[in-house]
Amino acid sequence: MIECKKLSKRYRSHFALSNLDCTIRENTITGVIGRNGAGKTTFMKLVAGYLKKTNGELRVMEENPFTSLKVSANTIFIDDQMSLPTSLNLGELLDSFAMFYPKWNGSLANELMVYFQLPQKSYVQNLSKGMRSTFQAIIGFAARCPLTIYDEPTTGMDSAVRKDFYRALLKDYLAFPRTILLSSHHLEEIENLLEEVLIIHNQQAFLHMSVSELKESVVAVKGDKLAVDHFVAMHGKLAYHEMVPGTVMAIVKVHNHVRRDDFPELTFTNLTANEAFIYLTDSQEGGIDRVFERSQLV
Amino acid sequence: MKFHEDSDVPIYVQVAEWLENEILRGQFEPDDKMYSQYQLADLFTINPATAGKGLSILFDHDILYKKRGLGMFVTSYARDVILQKRKSEKLTALVNEIVDEAERLEVPFDELIDMLKRAKMKNTGERQK
Repeated sequence: MIECKKLSKRYRSHFALSNLDCTIRENTITGVIGRNGAGKTTFMKLVAGYLKKTNGELRVMEENPFTSLKVSANTIFIDDQMSLPTSLNLGELLDSFAMFYPKWNGSLANELMVYFQLPQKSYVQNLSKGMRSTFQAIIGFAARCPLTIYDEPTTGMDSAVRKDFYRALLKDYLAFPRTILLSSHHLEEIENLLEEVLIIHNQQAFLHMSVSELKESVVAVKGDKLAVDHFVAMHGKLAYHEMVPGTVMAIVKVHNHVRRDDFPELTFTNLTANEAFIYLTDSQEGGIDRVFERSQLV
Repeated sequence: MKFHEDSDVPIYVQVAEWLENEILRGQFEPDDKMYSQYQLADLFTINPATAGKGLSILFDHDILYKKRGLGMFVTSYARDVILQKRKSEKLTALVNEIVDEAERLEVPFDELIDMLKRAKMKNTGERQK
């Protein structure tokens, strides 16, 4: 569905995306995860055809999305800057969306409006942040586009509505399979919905794998300093902390499958997908604490 | 069922274990049609690919078989396979743990056997009530 090779996007002198490689298969749900400013939104806007690439290759539905009518007719991009006319009420907005999207599911849209208590007669400019996000999510479901992109769709939604949103997303996907890109800062909330995660870090595709592979790729080990050091040397060190003299805890990126029984002197603990992601993308050793330590030395 | 999201066990393994328990509980008889990956996805709000991975674990262990275009079905010996598997995996691990802990606490082996017998008697007693 989506193929990128060395895809780059530059804003003036600043690269928002550089040499990104990835392939996203049709009818999968992919989570696009990354720290602030990593390039998630730029990537998704390029895919949707909103931005023109600077370099590299990008094929969406086998076409260049920036100049393709096919891509534009079959794609919907939902984000909090979506411009919706303020002169039409919500019901009229839904009617006009129906004209643009041939597979528009009007009855689902109306049922969801009732469920989320959005009156057809109100206007977008009068909605709260969370209600506006909910309204836009409804548009995303009802449009039934073969490529549906949500850029942080749950901004402002309360936790009950977020839960309903995720459930609705999955149910709608089961009924009408399509390719979905979903970015979020709450990996723990969406991980079970995803077939794969695409981690964008430092303007590149850093990892692209299933959630369970992500969890297995990082592990916490605790034990005697010598034993831990020996283990760390075979893999990649992400964090290291001497708890008491002689006893060390390390966060390790494992390069190959580890048979834990082979290391009886070490205690292994699994991390959540979100913790694994944070350690993998943490470029500042020592984290925020180090900044404060340094500033006090001055 | 609720999944333990921060458990060390991946969701697809938890799905497989839940299905095994359903078979042990008698919810599925031999040659009954198993849930599809889409039904499981809807049931637990998980990606259908994850649910599919859970089903293929059972298929690999001969607990399920495939009928072309119809889905997965329970084999006639599914129960035995599950019981055998649980015995060799879970029970063995538990027994090892008990023996280790007994050694740490310096409990003599005979006393450990007595403890096991007492636990068994307690269970039988409760069942008869």
